[in-house]
Amino acid sequence: MTDNTVSCGLVWDLVVSQSVDQSQRWVLTTMQRHGGELVTMLWRILGNEQDVCDAYQSTFLRLAHCEAGKRPKHTKAYVFRTASNVAVSMLRRKMAERNRLAAAADAGTTTVKVQDTGNPRGNEASVDGDLHTKDLQDNLRLCIARLPEHLRNVVTLRDLAELPYRQVGKVLGISAATARVYRCKAIRLLALWMNREKRREQ
Amino acid sequence: MTMRIELRNRKDSSSYKTRNQNGDKCRRIRARLHKAIANHLGLEAIWVQRHVAMCPRCQHRLASVGRVNLAFELLKSQPHSLDLLSRANTQAIGVLKRTLREGPKADKLKTKRPEPALAEKCSKYTHSTANVAACLAILLLTKFGVFSCMDKFQTQGQKALKQYYASQVGQDLADEIFVA
Repeated sequence: MTDNTVSCGLVWDLVVSQSVDQSQRWVLTTMQRHGGELVTMLWRILGNEQDVCDAYQSTFLRLAHCEAGKRPKHTKAYVFRTASNVAVSMLRRKMAERNRLAAAADAGTTTVKVQDTGNPRGNEASVDGDLHTKDLQDNLRLCIARLPEHLRNVVTLRDLAELPYRQVGKVLGISAATARVYRCKAIRLLALWMNREKRREQ
Repeated sequence: MTMRIELRNRKDSSSYKTRNQNGDKCRRIRARLHKAIANHLGLEAIWVQRHVAMCPRCQHRLASVGRVNLAFELLKSQPHSLDLLSRANTQAIGVLKRTLREGPKADKLKTKRPEPALAEKCSKYTHSTANVAACLAILLLTKFGVFSCMDKFQTQGQKALKQYYASQVGQDLADEIFVA
């Protein structure tokens, strides 16, 4: 009698777990459908392969556990916004760490100037300024991380994920025209900040 | 009752058509306006260029916006390793449930590589496809042109012969010959 109950319980557990797994198959489908675009976007935001893998992993982990394992209404929007937020928070953490290191280096030595991007370079090298492509890219990444959320979302989706304005609007729940206006504002702010950074470097 | 439904359906379809036509018109007008604005007020407009050449403030603004655009282009053009997608997939699948991790779909994802979009894939065949299409078009035009010319030539010839016979042997006989 007890054996029968135990076997029934096991069968029930198996059935329940299989149904849960069936319902979570959409995670893999989402990965298959949007994985490429997500990796490209994360790579452009972070510029480091290990960081990209970490951000990608935490995005899908959040997706699998959001709303108690249920599929969100707009999966694409959820995935893109989560990935962008995760990447930007990673970037901010990095930025804070670099600033801390730079401050420590400034306090320790007066001859070596440590830039905001964290690359220890001499005074001669800093004259190169924006001609150095790596500096320009790092500068842009840092400035994007400083943008207000609504502008940053539009810039990451439009310029880094290369989604058309209509889709950007859908993902963010705004109209395409609003997305255009936000992008314009973001570009103006980025230009201003990058100019300031350039002046400070000179 | 059925008549009413039919009438309503007709009305609906006609209103849908008019709405569609209006939408097309709006789109066309918007495109024209956009073009006109870009021609007269865009950065390419002559008066803007003239002003920028004289105004250091505008030059400065344009240069800083250009720098941002350049930085974006640099970010976009920076390539990542080909196996980054498969590595990211493997890492992400590793933290999912066991049954999801071990399915055939997961195995496929673990070895997935980035693929170019369909438009990019087809872009290399665009030139040859255009050539083939042009050849086909020429062939079709020639074929139809030749046949229509031959038809025309035949009818004109027949008419001329009929006229000749009518003038030589009379209308009745000519009609008999050409009807037969």
